[in-house]
Amino acid sequence: MKKRIERQIASVVIATGVSSVVTQLLVIREFLSQFQGNEFVIALILFNWLLLGGIGTLLAGAAGKKAGPGRLAWISLALAGLSPLELLGIRGLRETCFIHGSAVGFYPTLAFSFLTIAPYGLLLGFALPYSLATARNLLPAYTGTRIYITDNIGDVLGGALFSFVLVLLVSPLQAVLIANLPLLVAACWIHPSPLWSRSSIAPMALSALVLLAAGAAVEKSTLVLAGKQLAYYHESLYGRIEVFKDREQYTLVLDGKPMYSSENTNIAEETVHYPLSQPNRVNTVLMISAEGGVMTEAEKYHPESVDYLEIDAALTDAVFQFGLIKKIPGLHVIHQDGRAYLKKTDKKYDAILVNLPEPDTFQVNRFFTDRFFMLAKNRLEPGGILSFSVEGYANYLNDAQIEKISSLYRTARLHFAHVLMLPGQKVFFLCADFPPSTDIPRRLDEKKIETGYIRGFYYGNLTDDRIAALHRRIKPDAPLNRDYAPQLIRLMFSDWFAKFSTSPKGFIAVTALLLTLYLFFITREELVLFSTGFMAMGSEILVIFAFQMFLGYIYFQIGLIVTVFLAGLLPGAVFGESLRRRSRMVLLLGDGTLIGLLILFIAAVIFMGDRLPMTAYLLFGFAVSVACGCQFPAALYLQGSGKPAAIRAFSSDLIGAAFGTLITSVVLIPYAGIAWTAVALILLKTISFIVTRTGHDKPF
Amino acid sequence: MTNLSRRQFLVSGAAALGTAAFAPEALCAVTEWTGAKSLPADITGHIFKNDSPQKPWKWSKPGFSYHTMPKDVVVCEICPHGCVLEKGDRSICRSKVNINGVLYTLTYGNPCSVNIDPIEKKPLFHFHPKTRAFSIAATGCNFRCLNCQNWEISQVRPEDIRFQEMFPEQVVSHAKQENAASIAYTYSEATTYFEYMIDTARLARKNGIFNLWISNGYINEAPLLELCKVLDAANVNLKSFDDAIYRKLNGGRLDPVLNTFKTLHRQGVHFEITTLIVPGYVDDPEMIKGMCRWIRDNLGPDYPLHFLRFFPQYKLDRLPPTPVSTLTEFRRLAMKEGIHYVYIGNVPGHEGNHTYCHNCGRLLIERMGYHIPTYNLRGNRCKFCKTVIPGRWDSTP
Repeated sequence: MKKRIERQIASVVIATGVSSVVTQLLVIREFLSQFQGNEFVIALILFNWLLLGGIGTLLAGAAGKKAGPGRLAWISLALAGLSPLELLGIRGLRETCFIHGSAVGFYPTLAFSFLTIAPYGLLLGFALPYSLATARNLLPAYTGTRIYITDNIGDVLGGALFSFVLVLLVSPLQAVLIANLPLLVAACWIHPSPLWSRSSIAPMALSALVLLAAGAAVEKSTLVLAGKQLAYYHESLYGRIEVFKDREQYTLVLDGKPMYSSENTNIAEETVHYPLSQPNRVNTVLMISAEGGVMTEAEKYHPESVDYLEIDAALTDAVFQFGLIKKIPGLHVIHQDGRAYLKKTDKKYDAILVNLPEPDTFQVNRFFTDRFFMLAKNRLEPGGILSFSVEGYANYLNDAQIEKISSLYRTARLHFAHVLMLPGQKVFFLCADFPPSTDIPRRLDEKKIETGYIRGFYYGNLTDDRIAALHRRIKPDAPLNRDYAPQLIRLMFSDWFAKFSTSPKGFIAVTALLLTLYLFFITREELVLFSTGFMAMGSEILVIFAFQMFLGYIYFQIGLIVTVFLAGLLPGAVFGESLRRRSRMVLLLGDGTLIGLLILFIAAVIFMGDRLPMTAYLLFGFAVSVACGCQFPAALYLQGSGKPAAIRAFSSDLIGAAFGTLITSVVLIPYAGIAWTAVALILLKTISFIVTRTGHDKPF
Repeated sequence: MTNLSRRQFLVSGAAALGTAAFAPEALCAVTEWTGAKSLPADITGHIFKNDSPQKPWKWSKPGFSYHTMPKDVVVCEICPHGCVLEKGDRSICRSKVNINGVLYTLTYGNPCSVNIDPIEKKPLFHFHPKTRAFSIAATGCNFRCLNCQNWEISQVRPEDIRFQEMFPEQVVSHAKQENAASIAYTYSEATTYFEYMIDTARLARKNGIFNLWISNGYINEAPLLELCKVLDAANVNLKSFDDAIYRKLNGGRLDPVLNTFKTLHRQGVHFEITTLIVPGYVDDPEMIKGMCRWIRDNLGPDYPLHFLRFFPQYKLDRLPPTPVSTLTEFRRLAMKEGIHYVYIGNVPGHEGNHTYCHNCGRLLIERMGYHIPTYNLRGNRCKFCKTVIPGRWDSTP
C-alpha cells in the first residue's frame, strides 16, 4: 500500500514536471510570437512565470491537513486543462486587448503576461507543495527533498521531451496534448474512487482530454492576419514561420513580424546595391540571412558564388517555396550559425552582407560586436566590404538612436579604416578599408546596373546634407559593443522605451521594493536558497550567452546545456540528502563550490575564449546544478522538517530564480558585461556563505 | 485553504472545465471578430496635467487663437480637440501650455528638422514640378498615428529635443539662400506650430516664396481661413474614410478633416490628397469608392489623389506591406469614380507614378522617382490636346 501511494505521488509530480516545462517553453515561444522578442521581454516572461510559481507555492501554505489524493487529482486535471487554454488565451486576448497589427510596449506586456500566466503559474506553484502535503498526510516520513528530486526528474524529462522530440515533430497545441496525457493518467490513478464509480473523476478527465484535443484541432484557425490567407505554417526549432497571401503578394512572418515580402524592391535594392556597388570586383558574396528579393538584385553583378547563410532550414524552404528569394546561379545555401561559419571557413569574400533583425537579443547582438567585425574583416578579400543595417529614422535622430548608431560606428571603426553610414528608414553601415562612395547611383551607372528605387529616389532622399548630419551626430564617447560586454543591448532597450515614450524606472522601483521586503522577512536558509535559485538561472543565462558567443547558436547543443542544468540538480539533491545531518557544512560546501566554479568560468572565458570545448560548458553546467541541488535538502533540513518550512524553501528557490533571470539578462550582462556578471554572482554567493557561516544551528 | 464539500468541488470543477471545453471555439470567434474590431477603439491623446514649464521660454509666443474661462482656464481654438487647459497644463499636441492663464506656444522659432527636399517628396505632383522645398518642422502632433514616420519629433515635447534657432526672418532668408521655390511646413504636424508657420508664411509671401502645408488636416476653420490667405499649396492626408478607423489608428476624427478639404477648395488653394492604404484597415474597396465619390461630389474631380503603399512602421509593425495590385485596383476604382489624377506612391516604376492627360490620356509627366525625364505640358496645358491641367505650373519646369 505504501509503495503504491509513493508511486502514485511520484507519478503525479513527474507528470506535472513534464507538463509544466513543456507548457513553459511553449508559453515563452508564444509570447515571442505575439510580442516584442527582445531580451527584456524574454526575461520578463520567465520572471513572471517563476515569480507566480513562487507565489503559488506560498499560497499552498494554507492547504493543511485536508490535502489528499482526490483533491490532488482535481488540481492535476485543472493544470492539464489550463495548459491549452493558456496558449489559446495568449493568442486570443492579444488580439482583443491590443490593436491588431500593432506592437505592444513594456508595461502592457508586463501586465498582459502576468495576468495570462497567473492562472496556470499560480496553480502550478501550488501543486508541488500540495503534493508534499498529500504525501505527508498519507506517509508522515515523506520528505520535501524527495518531492524536490521527483519534480526535477519531471522537469528534466519535460525539457528533453520538448527540446529533442516535440519541437521537431508537432505543433504547440499538439505538444500540449501529448505532454499532458501522462498527467491525465496519473490524476486518474491517484484519485481514490474507481473510474466506474459515481464519484469517479473520469468525466473530469474526459473533459480535460476533450479540451486538450480541441486546442490541437483548432490551432491553425487561431493564427490570424486580418483578411489574409494563411498559405504556410511551420514551427521550426527557432520560431514560428507563417506565410500569408494577400492577392498576389506573399509575406513571410517570423515570430509575428513581417520579414520578407515578395514585392518589396526598395529594401532589396538598398540592401544589395549600397555595398555591392562599392568594390571593383564582386565575385564572391556572403549573405548572413537575407531580405525578400535580394538575390534578384545580387544577380545583376554576375557573382561566381553567393553563399547564403541561414540557421533555420525551415525558413529557407519557405522563402524558396514562395519565391521570396530567387535561386540564382552560384547560390549556395548554408544552414549554419553565421559566426560559427565565419570562424571555420577559409573562404574569402568580396562582400559580406549582414541582414539581421535589430540586435536586441543576445543571439543577434553577436553579429554587431567587435569580435564579429574582426572575424568578418578576416574573411574579406583586400578591397572587400562589410555591410549591416539597423532601424533608422525619417527626419530626426533621437538621443537613443544616436547612442545606438554611435556605438555601432565606433565598434566597426576598430577594424575598418572607413565606415560610411547612409541614413533612411534603415541606417546602412558600409565598412571597408577604402572610402566608400556616397554617390551610389553614379557607381551603379559605372557598373551598368539598373535599379528602380535607387536611381529614382536616392538623390532626393540621401542628400549630402543628410549624410553629413548623421556623421556629425556620432558621439565619440559612445560605448563599444564587445562580445564580453554587449552594451548595445541596453541601448536597444532605451531605443525601445523611447518608441513607447515610457521608462522602466517605475517597474524597477516597485520590483526593488518588493525584493527588499522579501529579503527582509526570509530566514538565513531561505536566503541561501534564494541565492541558489538566483545563481542557477544567472549562470545558465551566462553559460548560454558565452556559448553562443564563442561557438554559435547551435540548437541541440544549447538544448543539451539547458537539460544538463536541470539534470545536475538530481544527484546534487541526493548527495545533499545523504549528508543532511551535516547540513550547514553542505551549504558552505555548495556556496564554496559555486564561487570556485564561477572563478574558474571567468578565467576559462577570458584566457581560453573560443578554444573552450563544448564539454567544458556541459561540465560547468552540471557542476553548478549539482552544487545548487545539494543545497536544497540541506537548507530544508535546517529550516525544519515541517510542511511550512518546505513551502518557504520551494518558494525561495523559485523567487530567487525569477530575480536571477531578470537581473542577469536585463541588468548585469548588458550593463556590466560577462565578467562582472560572474563577479556579481560570486558576491551574492559570498554573502550567502557568510550568512551561513555566521548563523546558529537553529533557524532564527 | 477553505474547506469545500466534495459536492461543491465537483460542481465548481465541472463548471470550470465545461466552460473551458468551449473556450477554443469561443476564442476563435473572438479572434476572428477582433481581427477588425479589437480594443482599444480610440487612441486619441490626452491633456498632460501639470506638465507646463513655469514660465515661457525664448521660443514661446501667446497662442494665435484661444479663449479664456474663469479660474485662468484657457481653451485652444487651433484644432478640433479644443484642449481645455487649466493653469500648468499642456495640450494634446504637447506644443501649447497654459502659463498663468495665457495660452503659449512653445514652438516658435525652434525647428528640430530642417531639410531641402524635392517637392515631389511631399508629395505635390501638380505644383511647380522639379522645384525644391525648404522644409521645416517643430515638434508636436495632435494625432497619435500608430504608423507615424516621424514619431521622434511628433510625439515629444519641444523641450526634450535638439533644435536650431530659426525665427521666421531666418527661415525665409535660408530658403532664399538655398534657392528654394517654397517653404514646406511638414514632417510633424504643422498645425501644432501654427503661430510659427503663419508668421513665416506671411513673410515668405512678401518675399515671393511659396508656402506649402503638409498636414493631417485636423484644424479648425477659423485658423485655416487665416492660413489660406498666404497658402499656395497643401498636401492633406485623408487617412481613411471611416471615423472608427480614424479613432483607432490615428486618434482623430474624420469630419473635421473633410471640412478642411471643403475650406481649402472654397478658398481656391491648390491641394493634393494622400491616403495610405493600410492592409486590414484602409483596404476596403467599398470604402475607397465612397471616399472617391465624396471627393468628386464635394471637391470636384481635379484634385490629385495619392494612394501610398504601406510598409510596417513605428508601432504598426506587425502588418504586411500593401500588395501592389490593391493600389492598382484602387487607382482604377478612383478613376472610374471620376477622379482625374490618381497616383500611386512608394512603388517605383509603377505607371501610377506618372501624369496622364485626363482628356486625351497621353503621357504628360513621366516620373522616375524625383526625376522627370518627360514633360509634355506647355504652360498649364497638355501639349497634345491643349486641355488645361489642374495645378500650378511653371512655363518651363
